[in-house]
Amino acid sequence: MNPRDQATAPETSRDTAGATSQPGPNAMPNAMIELAGVELTLPSAAGPVHILRGLDLAIGRGETVSVVGPSGSGKSSMMMIIAGLERASKGEVTVGGTRFDGLDEDSLARFRRDSVGIVFQDFHLVPTMTALENVAIPLEFAGRRDAFARAAECLESVGLGHRLTHYPGQLSGGEQQRTALARAFAAAPDLLLADEPTGNLDGETGQQIIELLFRLQAEHGTTLLLITHDPQLAARCARSVKLLDGLIVDDVTNGDVMAGDVTASSVSGL
Amino acid sequence: MSTTAQAGASGASGFGGRWPLALRLARRELRGGLRGFRIFLACLTLGVTAIAGVGSVSESLLTGLQRDGRVLLGGDMDLRLTHVAATPEQQAFLDSRAEVSRVAEMRAMARGTEEDSRRVLVELRAVDSLYPLFGSAEITPAGNLETTLAKRAGPDGVHWGAAIDGSLLRRLNIEPGALVRVGDIDYRVTAVLEREPDRTSRAFTLGPTFMVARDSLPETGLVQPGSLIQYHYRLRLDPGATPQAMRAALTETFPEAGWRIRDTTEAAPGIGRFIDRLTLFLTLVGLTALLVGGVGVGNAVRSYLDGKTPTIATLKCLGAPGRLIFQVYMAQILALALIGIVLGLVLGAAATYAAAGILGDALGWRAELGLYPLPLATAAAFGVLTAITFSLWPLARARSVAAASLFRDLIAPAGGGAGAAGKLLRATLPALLVSGGLLAALAIFTAADRRLAFFFVIGAIGALLLFRLAALGIIAAARRLPRPRRPGLRLALTNLYRPGAPTASVVMSLGLGLTVLVTIALIEGNLSRQVRQSLPEEAPGFYFIDIQPDQVADFDALVESFPGVTELRQVPMLRGRIAAVNGVPPSELEIPSDVQWVFRGDRGLTWMREPRADDHLTAGQWWPADYDGPPLVSLHDEVGRALGIGPGDKLSINILGRDVEVTIANLREIDWANLSINFVMIFSPGLLEQAPQSHIATVKADAETEDALEIAVTDRFTNVSSIRVKEALEQVGALIAQIAVAVRAIAAVALVAGVLVLAGAVAAGHHRRVYDSVVLKVLGATRRSIAQAFLLEYGLLGLVTATIAAGIGTLAAWLVLTEIMRADFVFLPQAVILTALLATAITVGFGFLGTWRALGQKAAPLLRNE
Repeated sequence: MNPRDQATAPETSRDTAGATSQPGPNAMPNAMIELAGVELTLPSAAGPVHILRGLDLAIGRGETVSVVGPSGSGKSSMMMIIAGLERASKGEVTVGGTRFDGLDEDSLARFRRDSVGIVFQDFHLVPTMTALENVAIPLEFAGRRDAFARAAECLESVGLGHRLTHYPGQLSGGEQQRTALARAFAAAPDLLLADEPTGNLDGETGQQIIELLFRLQAEHGTTLLLITHDPQLAARCARSVKLLDGLIVDDVTNGDVMAGDVTASSVSGL
Repeated sequence: MSTTAQAGASGASGFGGRWPLALRLARRELRGGLRGFRIFLACLTLGVTAIAGVGSVSESLLTGLQRDGRVLLGGDMDLRLTHVAATPEQQAFLDSRAEVSRVAEMRAMARGTEEDSRRVLVELRAVDSLYPLFGSAEITPAGNLETTLAKRAGPDGVHWGAAIDGSLLRRLNIEPGALVRVGDIDYRVTAVLEREPDRTSRAFTLGPTFMVARDSLPETGLVQPGSLIQYHYRLRLDPGATPQAMRAALTETFPEAGWRIRDTTEAAPGIGRFIDRLTLFLTLVGLTALLVGGVGVGNAVRSYLDGKTPTIATLKCLGAPGRLIFQVYMAQILALALIGIVLGLVLGAAATYAAAGILGDALGWRAELGLYPLPLATAAAFGVLTAITFSLWPLARARSVAAASLFRDLIAPAGGGAGAAGKLLRATLPALLVSGGLLAALAIFTAADRRLAFFFVIGAIGALLLFRLAALGIIAAARRLPRPRRPGLRLALTNLYRPGAPTASVVMSLGLGLTVLVTIALIEGNLSRQVRQSLPEEAPGFYFIDIQPDQVADFDALVESFPGVTELRQVPMLRGRIAAVNGVPPSELEIPSDVQWVFRGDRGLTWMREPRADDHLTAGQWWPADYDGPPLVSLHDEVGRALGIGPGDKLSINILGRDVEVTIANLREIDWANLSINFVMIFSPGLLEQAPQSHIATVKADAETEDALEIAVTDRFTNVSSIRVKEALEQVGALIAQIAVAVRAIAAVALVAGVLVLAGAVAAGHHRRVYDSVVLKVLGATRRSIAQAFLLEYGLLGLVTATIAAGIGTLAAWLVLTEIMRADFVFLPQAVILTALLATAITVGFGFLGTWRALGQKAAPLLRNE
């Protein structure tokens, strides 16, 4: 392959971001996520299913937002749209100043590589790669020469400095999720998406992961969007958005509840 | 590996290109080991081994043949005349231009001097003092061949010496030093002939070699006008002289000499042709194995990539573009393919040594051992192209895995709906066409017979498409059928078309494997049928050859007076060759390959006044019994039809060194199968009546009188040789049996590929099967009903596939038998049905085995994980 591809890839995404960073209709100064009238309709055997039916949402940089709602309410779909993994059937999506509608799949992939970290309920580490390699993947994708050194630092920062050469199968659930967190934060993304990150962990381990998640978020000043069924966890975020049947039915600020855990910057956008 | 080492490695390769990253990721992904790739590897290795092995062995044999060409031919050139020796002018011409070794060959009867000694048909070779011009004859006791064969005084008189084949000693029950009678004189066996350097260049031989001095031949009384003697003139050309120039000079100076001229490129034309044909056939079988293996490759890649769906989705979530995913997995497949190919090449190259070890000297020359890069490179190219062609589609599907699948449980393992599949197909089609086209082009252009290879490729594509369509048809039909009430049957039907069902891959792999099986079964059946049938009830017991015209009456009287003789037929015979058809020499004619044999050498000719009772004319009229006009000929109708000639057309026949113009009077059907005397050309009386000729007779006699008859005839007529049909046929039968063994051995390769692929296809569906059966068990289905459903599913699949495969296999067998082996084809329903049933049983067996294992799984762990 042409080595220039690699060298120019990061620029390309920045260019794209620059070219499309016009404020949306719900213009919000310093917004990280802007959804305007976003709808998602998927075909099915029984006819089209309206999963999202018009979402308007603006989230500021550094903000921590939990997404709650019953199963099937559209939480995951909304997150997929924000990650650029699913295209909105209607409406506008702007993340980090980049409007999605003009981007093709590979541009979206590059955008994720540079700007979005994702943590899953099932960890989704690549089983054939060591912890170190797993964390290094997004850095390698970005063509960074210090990928492994940086990945090692990240793993040390989540307390896994002694587990670098272990494979996912040799790690406990908590360790796997910590590795996933290190991977998500490795490229210092502007936005972290977490889908039930403690869903597959026992209470105590889950608690540790949450502490780690919020610590890293605070250190990096990352915008955090967290799907959870756990009201306590939801309450740790500065803001809570509730989805029901493809619509946002509630959007509350928890600012005073857990103020101690939230950095001042996370509410600066409001 | 340590952290720093890894970091260093990544730094070193991180020079910015996409491939190094793709290669890095591929290497990590391969840490999972070869699990899931065993069948992939086995399929590729098998196919590559077959192609590389066949190519290498063939090249090593042909190279050896070329290397020893002069030795095998007995000279730089070999001129052969039948019936008559070269004229003094011809001999003088030869002597002036080259060193000439003279060898005469004929069939004769050898017997001990005891009254009741056995009579054995021998190949009498009378050689001069220069023999052999190249190479050497090995005799025991070792010594000079010329002295061994010379006339010398012994304890019981002065006799010529003879070097004879060891088997003749045993058959005559004599010791070296004994006297053996051939024709009118006794030879003393002075040596055992261990090895004749030029044995291979001789056509089909009927008896052991009896080598004598050429000067002794006249004393035997065997050289009679019309005797079937072949005179060879072997030339050692002067340095600087070329066979081409010599050939041109000979043709110009003696245009009507009628000699067959061969040079070292045709040292063993029969064997060379045989090797070429066998190589072609075996290469096609190798390609079939590779093709069947290709389906296995595709299945393995697909199931591997299905298992990688979460990893691919994860990589995409982390920002990997689709192209990178494609590269990562393509690199893995190529790396694995490389292992399989290298393994195949090593085994294929080793086959040369194995074959040389097994064959030894049996062919008369030794294979030239060594590495033959061309067949190896060809086999490697076939391997790479097969791996790529059959991996492209699953790779394209992997590329299109939706990253969103990590968030949502998808029903389909990969890909989207029908629209997405269509889009994917359009995107992949160009690459598929290129690599598939290259594969087809390689198959065609590396084949000795491109037309045949072309048909093979067309057939292969047709078979692949047909099985694909069949799979789609089965799926569509299963979907449309009304739902049966019985849950078992309903489950079987829905299993055929549910997303991710292995229907397509089972139909494809079983279908191709079964096609090969049916083809082989039919070829095999036809071959062994021909062996059985070549001993027809009405076959004569003897041929008697070289009966002189003045002996005919006595011969007839003797044989007919013999009790137990049921039939005697005798006809005059000469040998001649077609020199021109309507004035055009054969070399300038477009001769269809199935009648080329007629032009290849001498043919037996006869003349008759009246047609025999079983002669059937297809065109023209027989001449009147008292016909006495210009020579007419009755031609074998197959030859006439193939050349598009019939009554009125003219043939020029070279008989006894003279071109004779004859007019075709009629075309005549010949049934060669009954082994009675038959001739491609029968002349009208007149012309041949006057020519020197001998008679040939077939005699049917009771088994118990055969020995006595043979002794009586050969005692009375010392120049007459008897050929026992049964013995000759046994030789032919042994030859066909050997070919059948080769066919079977190679067929086994294709078969193993088929079974591997089938097992792979079934194993690929195993995971889902386990899950299904667990859920069904939870819902209260008994193991019996689940097993029944699965048996039904596979039985249904097997039956439909077997039917299609039977059709394609029959077509393929017909092509192989009629086009490659030049044999008759008869459809053998039992063979086909038996094969189809067996294959269906195998499918059901495999399916059942998988299901049974699945049924044994404990439900709890699976359910907990879900």
